[in-house]
Amino acid sequence: MNETRLQWILKALAALVLPAFCLLPFGWMLLVCFSRQPDFLLPQVDFAPTLQNLVDVLTDPSLHLMAYLRNSLLVSAVSAAAATFFAGLSAYSVTRLRFPGRILIPLGVLAFSMFPQISIVGYLFKLMASLDWINHHAALILPYTTLGLPLALWIMISHFAQIPVDLDKAALVDGASRLQILFRIIFPLAAPGALSTVLLVFIYSFNEFLFALMLTTDYTARTIPVGIAMFEGLHGQLPWGHVMAIAVVAILPVLLIAAVFQRRIIQGLVQGAVKG
Amino acid sequence: MQKAACGAMGLMASFLVVIVLFAALPGCTGDAPRLTFWVGGAPQEVDYWEQLVIGFEKDTGIDVEIIRQPAATEQRKQGLVIALESGRPDPDVFLMDIIWISQFVQSDWLAPLDSCFGENSLHPRQFFPSVVDRVDRRNNRYYALPAFLDVGLLYYRGDLLQRHGFTGPPATWDALVEQALVVQAAERRENPGFNGFVWQGAQYEGLVCTFLEFIATHGGGISIDGTVNVSLPANEKALQFMQDLVRRHRVSPANTYTEMKEEEVRRGFQRGNALFERNWLYAWSLHQRPGSAVRGSIGLAPLPHLPGAETAATLGGWHLGISKTSDVKDQAWKLVEFLLSHDTQKKLLMKLGWYSCRRDVYQDPEVQSQVANIETLQQIVNHAVSRPDLPYYDHISRILQRYVNDCLAGKHSPREAITAMQQEIDRIEEIYGSP
Amino acid sequence: MAAPDQPPEKNEEARSAWLFNLPLVLLTAAFILIPVGGTLVTSLFRDVTYLPDAFVGLQNYLRLAADLHFWQSMRFTLLFVAVSVTLELIFGLVFALLLNEAMPGRGLLRVIVLVPWIIPIAVSARIWELIYNYEFGLFNFLLQHPGLTQQPVNWLGSSAGAFAAIVISDVWKTTPFMTIILLAGFSTIPQDLYRQAMVDGTHFLQRFIHVTLPLIRPVIVVALLFRTIDAVRIFDLIYVLTGGGPGGATTSLSLYSFQYYVSGDFGYGSCISLIVFLIAGLLAVSYIRLGKFSEVLR
Repeated sequence: MNETRLQWILKALAALVLPAFCLLPFGWMLLVCFSRQPDFLLPQVDFAPTLQNLVDVLTDPSLHLMAYLRNSLLVSAVSAAAATFFAGLSAYSVTRLRFPGRILIPLGVLAFSMFPQISIVGYLFKLMASLDWINHHAALILPYTTLGLPLALWIMISHFAQIPVDLDKAALVDGASRLQILFRIIFPLAAPGALSTVLLVFIYSFNEFLFALMLTTDYTARTIPVGIAMFEGLHGQLPWGHVMAIAVVAILPVLLIAAVFQRRIIQGLVQGAVKG
Repeated sequence: MQKAACGAMGLMASFLVVIVLFAALPGCTGDAPRLTFWVGGAPQEVDYWEQLVIGFEKDTGIDVEIIRQPAATEQRKQGLVIALESGRPDPDVFLMDIIWISQFVQSDWLAPLDSCFGENSLHPRQFFPSVVDRVDRRNNRYYALPAFLDVGLLYYRGDLLQRHGFTGPPATWDALVEQALVVQAAERRENPGFNGFVWQGAQYEGLVCTFLEFIATHGGGISIDGTVNVSLPANEKALQFMQDLVRRHRVSPANTYTEMKEEEVRRGFQRGNALFERNWLYAWSLHQRPGSAVRGSIGLAPLPHLPGAETAATLGGWHLGISKTSDVKDQAWKLVEFLLSHDTQKKLLMKLGWYSCRRDVYQDPEVQSQVANIETLQQIVNHAVSRPDLPYYDHISRILQRYVNDCLAGKHSPREAITAMQQEIDRIEEIYGSP
Repeated sequence: MAAPDQPPEKNEEARSAWLFNLPLVLLTAAFILIPVGGTLVTSLFRDVTYLPDAFVGLQNYLRLAADLHFWQSMRFTLLFVAVSVTLELIFGLVFALLLNEAMPGRGLLRVIVLVPWIIPIAVSARIWELIYNYEFGLFNFLLQHPGLTQQPVNWLGSSAGAFAAIVISDVWKTTPFMTIILLAGFSTIPQDLYRQAMVDGTHFLQRFIHVTLPLIRPVIVVALLFRTIDAVRIFDLIYVLTGGGPGGATTSLSLYSFQYYVSGDFGYGSCISLIVFLIAGLLAVSYIRLGKFSEVLR
């Protein structure tokens, strides 16, 4: 078999197998979402298209889907912004300032990123309970920000490191403070990296489950992943149509982000992992 | 490239501002006092609670927010433990499985209700003493009240018994085995999937309920006087009998200990594939529904027992409690009063087939004429037995489940199982038993 | 605080550095270090909601050593990690190779590959829960309809089926991550090496084994490190898909610890979660050692 033949076969495989592998469950999800009966694969049941499932989950008050969505978006957005900002501060110091323990920060943070969440969440629950923050957004925003710091730090460091220090020196000579340098010069130049960071931390926080499960008790602060996990169904029919409808609504934000920003996301992932 | 990224950043910053505003505006603090009622169960059941609550809201003008929990009992408990341990003002009113009450009281999560009782309003005297005194009253105070009752009992196919010349349901276990063998042999000629006696034997909480009934009706039991003791010769005999049902007499199917839980048992009996069924009260109204193959041909009776011992029924059911940290305790009590009122309890009985613990419900003429089995039920409730009433009951349950199930599977002899059970229970007691 | 012979800029730098790092340090201390420390301390106590706290030293650990359910969880977790990380590596390599070929629509393919990874695990778990449904799920339909099997497979109701179900779902979800990392690794290999090898007349497979693999070895190690540690802490998928069942057959260590936390037993739960911590730590250290060794060897 010659090379070009092989290459052609590989490309064909890629074009067929990859999408099938990745998208089959989503295709199924859409079918069930828009089907009147979720068990339409049974010989005695027909497939009848309908929008009713989506309408039901979007309008049923006892489901609180909009509240879950709102909480998820809020918590994810705030923690993404905060993590990027704080990581930017630290990245600046690591790449531009000399101080004892400079290497400890990125290495330490890398080590902490490997801590299993289960070893954190138990005591964290007690902490949050004593602050009376259980079922408040703060109970999720602060831990998510912290958990996003390692990835954020490594991406920002790799971007900041590429910006020549001479720029700093010039600005210092002109009398600028370090903070001004960071915001006026470094951040704008590293904007692609900051964007990657925001996106990745957003995705991570949006998808997080264990903390949301243990630190929230109802729709006031609960996020979508927990909401969909707990959903049993409306009004006694087989719940799957509604579960899939919720799934569709749940993944729309992250899918949108993936579609628009896929390059940034992949770059961020690669930098976070490969540099490590 | 950087310009575009900057632009994107600016866009996202404004997006962020919009989200924060959107989220901050509609009262996202979540601290305004509200009366929340946590209910779980199948969606139709929760729907019915919602209807009831609408009635309450109309009567009293108090807003109630029903928070739906998952149907699975374990998940309901997990959600409650997290919420109550965090000391939040919500939930205010919630349903508890009877076996949680000990832990909930000991963990200081329940508000004592005594100060709320009144002569003309709700009072424990209105309920079955064998339930309220045993379950809801601790240290002379009441911490919960029963929302509805469940007991284990025997369902039987009256038509089949008649056909084979038996006068009525068996009073003793030997009689049950005899009747099961005869009918099973006859029925299997047409229906090879027919079983004499189906009961819950899978490794889950329900197995402890069944186990408790078997040992109590054999003259044994689990005593918690001072120390938890399960190693009685009567218990061994009972466990042997359970094993025999599956492995020796073969009147119970082989998947009794792998798959049989409430619904599996109920469906088997309802399709006409069993002579006897051990299940809870809830199954009665389902068996009698139009479309059921056994409608009109069944009866219920107390479980059989050993001659010289008495019948027994494991006490189940769900109880209402008010959180100690509730911020609307007066309103919470009003809701509890409403849910446990004569009218509401009667509705639950007539509509959902949920038997009440209120005595006056059974004296209502409408109930007496339309609801079956009231007298038998009285008899059964008088012989109710409780699972060990300890805050660390879930640990004990896990041990019992495992060894009883292993014994049914043939991995241990009854003696080995009971001995091992007792050893592990002793160890658990050392850890959780002493303050 | 400054030593008299240190240049003033150094001091100013150090002080600035502290300020710049303050948020990160505070957050990390408050929400990672203190909780882990607190978990360690709690594991030495009998900490249940219905009893007064009591210091019990290593009693929880001794109890854990004799706990059959714990060892069952341990076996399941380790087996799961071994099987799924291996599969993810293989699939990831294959997909990365496929995506490495220049072709029209490659950008679209990359987005498609990203999609399983980007959605919440909880959501994907519910989709898979339906796919594995005994009566009308997709998999049983695909197996029965063309007559591949007689009986529907009891995916979630049997321990072997549940294990397979979890592995399949996890591999589906995280292969994209591996693919992307490996693809990035491929792109660092200079094209000249390939051209040289092709001139030498080597076969595609030989090229892969002798040129590609050795050069992306560090990337593979890093990817494996992250994936393994992630796999050890698996929780979301199991909680939603199987709940740890049937009968505890698919209870991972994280889930086992969680079950104790939410039954009000913080002492024992902390103890189990520390074991997860130790395992993750051990794995991290071993990978780093192994990674370093191969560097040294070269």
